[in-house]
Amino acid sequence: MDDKQQLKRRDFMSIATWAIGILIGAGMGLPAIAYIIGPALREDEAFGWIRLGSISKVELGIPTLFKAKIERQTGWIVNEEEITVYVLTENGRDFIAMSNICTHLGCRVRWIKDQDQFFCPCHNGVFNKAGGVVAGPVPRPLDRFEVKVEDDQLFILGG
Amino acid sequence: MVTQISEWLDERLGWRSVWETIFLRKVPKVNWSYTLGSATLFAAVNQAVTGILLTIYYVPSPDQAYASVQYITTQVPAGWLIRGLHHYGASAMILLTVLHMVRVIFYGSYKYPREMTWFTGVGLLLIVFGFGFSGYLLPWDQKAFWATTVGTRIAEVTPLVGDAILRIMRGGKELTAITLARFFGVHVWFLPATLIILIGIHLYLVIRIGISSVPTREE
Repeated sequence: MDDKQQLKRRDFMSIATWAIGILIGAGMGLPAIAYIIGPALREDEAFGWIRLGSISKVELGIPTLFKAKIERQTGWIVNEEEITVYVLTENGRDFIAMSNICTHLGCRVRWIKDQDQFFCPCHNGVFNKAGGVVAGPVPRPLDRFEVKVEDDQLFILGG
Repeated sequence: MVTQISEWLDERLGWRSVWETIFLRKVPKVNWSYTLGSATLFAAVNQAVTGILLTIYYVPSPDQAYASVQYITTQVPAGWLIRGLHHYGASAMILLTVLHMVRVIFYGSYKYPREMTWFTGVGLLLIVFGFGFSGYLLPWDQKAFWATTVGTRIAEVTPLVGDAILRIMRGGKELTAITLARFFGVHVWFLPATLIILIGIHLYLVIRIGISSVPTREE
């Protein structure tokens, strides 16, 4: 009888110890996960309309390079970054703005004038002047920005 | 199923006898003050876990250290909790280590055959102080900067070698980026490595010799 009660007490202590241990582990573990993945879950910063420059710089029928400076807050550091955009117009009124980031693996594409094509040096991805896929491993056309023109100034919607 | 897996593992690892040696060992009838060592170990584990987590965001450079700590505290989810646990855990660590030592002195547990346990314990106490001293600089705020200025100046008072000690601690005459970087290195590499080795020996001895019993009037 006495022996049996001893055993029960021991079992209780064992279970209680495990339970408290698991509780502490979870109390540490769950915040730790939130802590680690926190910045990954943060929504990408929106930049609003970014001014590229005057529309008079855009050559008819040829993708023209524009650079714009943006300020990006990464963690505790504010970085000034340069974004590069190719702008194409066929009629001087309607503009398309394309990102120069290759849709394959993120290298930067270049406009090769002689061949009338965008070329990506990393894996030989080729795009036509409107950003459409021509050759190589690229999965989709170049990404486009939303464009607006105000007082002959070209703006893109940064995101 | 569970028994089958644990049987399979035990046959290959022999973990059951290890488990029994560590956790199911016989102990004399003692009081709650004998749990202070385990409490200190728990605080140490807390410091290790939260400390490792803090290094994900912390940058030990004068132009970023403070901002990265602010980022942890105000921007990262549960960052305030992780930093808080490390901050207050540090005080708990010192407190528990000293209380544990007081208990060992009070019950005479340092005597034969436990001298080596005591020696390693003294080493651990010094390491814990080292952790406190080096960690205090890392937030790189005014308190940190001036506390380390004063702390290293105190070391300078040492006869003959004082100036050398100050220079080695600071990595030069002034308290600079070099000081911050080396305090960080000491805090996250040198001290933890030594701590783990000494805790290993300390616990090995506790388990091998067994804990002391409460002294009786006759002894």
